[in-house]
Amino acid sequence: MRVTLDRLTKRFGTFTALHALSLTIEPGEFLVLLGPSGCGKTTALRMVAGLETVSEGAIQIGERDVTEVLPKYRDIAMVFQSYALYPHKTVAENIGYPLKLRRVPDPDRDQAVRQVAEQVRLDQLLDRYPRQLSGGQRQRVALARAIVRRPTVFLMDEPLSNLDAKLRVHMRAELKHMQHELGITTVYVTHDQVEAMTLAHRVAVLNNGRLQQLGTPREIYGDPANLFVAGFVGSPPMSFVDGALQSGRFVAPGADLAVGGSFDVRDAVLGIRAEDCQVVPRGAGKVRATVYSHELIGDHTLVMCQIGADSDASHTIAVKMDKAFEAEFGAEIDIDMAPAGLFIFDKKDGSRVRLPSA
Amino acid sequence: MTTIDRRPTPVTSIAHHTMPQPGPIARLFEPRRIGKMSPMTAFVVYGGLLFWTVIVVFPLYWLLVTSVKLPIDVNEGPRYLPFIDFQPSAHAWRYVFIDIGGDTFRPYVNSLIIATVSTVLAMLVGSMAAYALVRIEYRPSLGSIVMFLACLAAAIVAVVAAGVPWWIAAVGLVAVFLLLLRAIGRRFQRRLGNADIQFWIISQRILPPVVVALPIYVMFQNLGLLNTRTAFIITYATINLPIVVWLMHDFFASIPIDLEESAQLDGASRYRIFFDIVLPLAKPGIAATGLLVLVLAWNEYLLALFLSGADVQTMPLLVAAQNATRGPQWWYMSVLIVIMIVPVVTIALFLQRLIARGLLVGSVKG
Repeated sequence: MRVTLDRLTKRFGTFTALHALSLTIEPGEFLVLLGPSGCGKTTALRMVAGLETVSEGAIQIGERDVTEVLPKYRDIAMVFQSYALYPHKTVAENIGYPLKLRRVPDPDRDQAVRQVAEQVRLDQLLDRYPRQLSGGQRQRVALARAIVRRPTVFLMDEPLSNLDAKLRVHMRAELKHMQHELGITTVYVTHDQVEAMTLAHRVAVLNNGRLQQLGTPREIYGDPANLFVAGFVGSPPMSFVDGALQSGRFVAPGADLAVGGSFDVRDAVLGIRAEDCQVVPRGAGKVRATVYSHELIGDHTLVMCQIGADSDASHTIAVKMDKAFEAEFGAEIDIDMAPAGLFIFDKKDGSRVRLPSA
Repeated sequence: MTTIDRRPTPVTSIAHHTMPQPGPIARLFEPRRIGKMSPMTAFVVYGGLLFWTVIVVFPLYWLLVTSVKLPIDVNEGPRYLPFIDFQPSAHAWRYVFIDIGGDTFRPYVNSLIIATVSTVLAMLVGSMAAYALVRIEYRPSLGSIVMFLACLAAAIVAVVAAGVPWWIAAVGLVAVFLLLLRAIGRRFQRRLGNADIQFWIISQRILPPVVVALPIYVMFQNLGLLNTRTAFIITYATINLPIVVWLMHDFFASIPIDLEESAQLDGASRYRIFFDIVLPLAKPGIAATGLLVLVLAWNEYLLALFLSGADVQTMPLLVAAQNATRGPQWWYMSVLIVIMIVPVVTIALFLQRLIARGLLVGSVKG
């Protein structure tokens, strides 16, 4: 079902956690709210769930205004970061609890629990207690409890953040597959941009309680709306160089690049992703740099290059090179940048300066 | 082959230092291995535990021994070991259970009923209050409370000084208070919070009970409830309520709110959450608090003195009554105390497992 947030605002005393967030989540869509901690994403989710009152604005599920409806009448299921399993109930009782509250007769409930447990491969563990389960199994119990009653909307609050890295990749695939199969509208909160990129149909990037950009993962990554989105999405994050834009040329210590157009921006930031750069011998590229460090990731090598003399992070550029790449620490090199991968931002407000070629 | 990319010379010139080995005395004060106690620590710890065990266990032993002594063995100085120091006798036990059997049995049953029912009542009401104080934010306005107290004072003056019937005064009190509340209630800015309410509740227990003994006596006299179990139950439940609220508050606060929010989304009402989720998880707290309150009600003496009559006596009164005109009857007293201790010790042993077990393992994270 469609979920509509209309200028949703949340204030805690004088602090505004969420500024007039407007979003329409289409039926069956997997929408990810992405942002750093304290950006208001969890607050927004909790407002949809009804766990937090709405200061201003409205929430609609389908055609129904649920802004002030009790959580239990919203027909929403939520998976908590902590899983929130009932420790004194068995796996079967945990999964069946929502049905028990809906007075579903015992035989039907047992059957539904068994069916869902099979779906998430918990059918062997139904008599166990949560404390006897591993992290991944607990996560699946939480999921099973959420899907057993076929809610109209799924809410997930960083459900994977307590799992180890390997299990997280596995559960990510399971989540995506299950959401696709069930076709239930899902709102998913995370601070992990990889999760956002891999899971979402669309991503809403939030910062300081404001929506920064709403778009498909491809749009968010390839066409960031501002400095914040560009720096938050991608691994490694986009590298930034402070400088000035002088009639279509970006000028910084050790760099002088033609970026097109004829803008003048006194305090500009150049952004470039690691895969759009190349380390080339000194004299062959446009930006002078030295090798600060290099890290073999496996299928590629990440080379951290330093522009200018000081070691300020804003003057370090990450370059993605072939796994066979080798270099001395401190080697003097040049960096070649693909023109299509260059982004210019205004340092004052972080807004994107659109280049004519892009 | 691995090539190590390294600068030829160290960056700094900080010297390398090792830990000196301890001398023979110092060695007594440090553990031989990790995870072990040092010899001195072990000596102090086990010595202290042994000392304390003797302090705790000896009175109980003395009680048991005294209960099987003849009066002459008690009066002729300390005798410690049955069959060696003195010949044990069951005379006191025979007297308590057979000679005055009925007079022992009735207070015993009274004590059991009064302690159990008052504990259940205090636990039920107290834990609900504690839960509300943990999860619901109250903001009573200070002005309204002061206003109510002023109305109450006026009503009391009207009853006492002007002879107004009490029910007219009560109706007037409520009416005037509600009127004032509607008229000027919104002006009051100062508000109290949950912590203030909690302190107000516990402050009821800071008051020495003897202060309220007489008013309680007069109240039950007027109600015609003196010398009944009901009076005991109401009184004990009330005086123990603050302790329940105070202790259960912390147990409820330690339950992750995620569980309750999850239950809320699953479709449970507040009462459902309280009884389905919160109470089962607070079992260790309920066991610990319940035991404490039970013991307090079981041992209560001062108020029992005021509330009891010929029909309803409790065990502490019966024990005290053994110190009568013939001087303290230590042997009877010991028997009564032993049978008084038995149920409490049994319950404590039974509940101890529950208190020690962490019930929250596995609920959140891992």
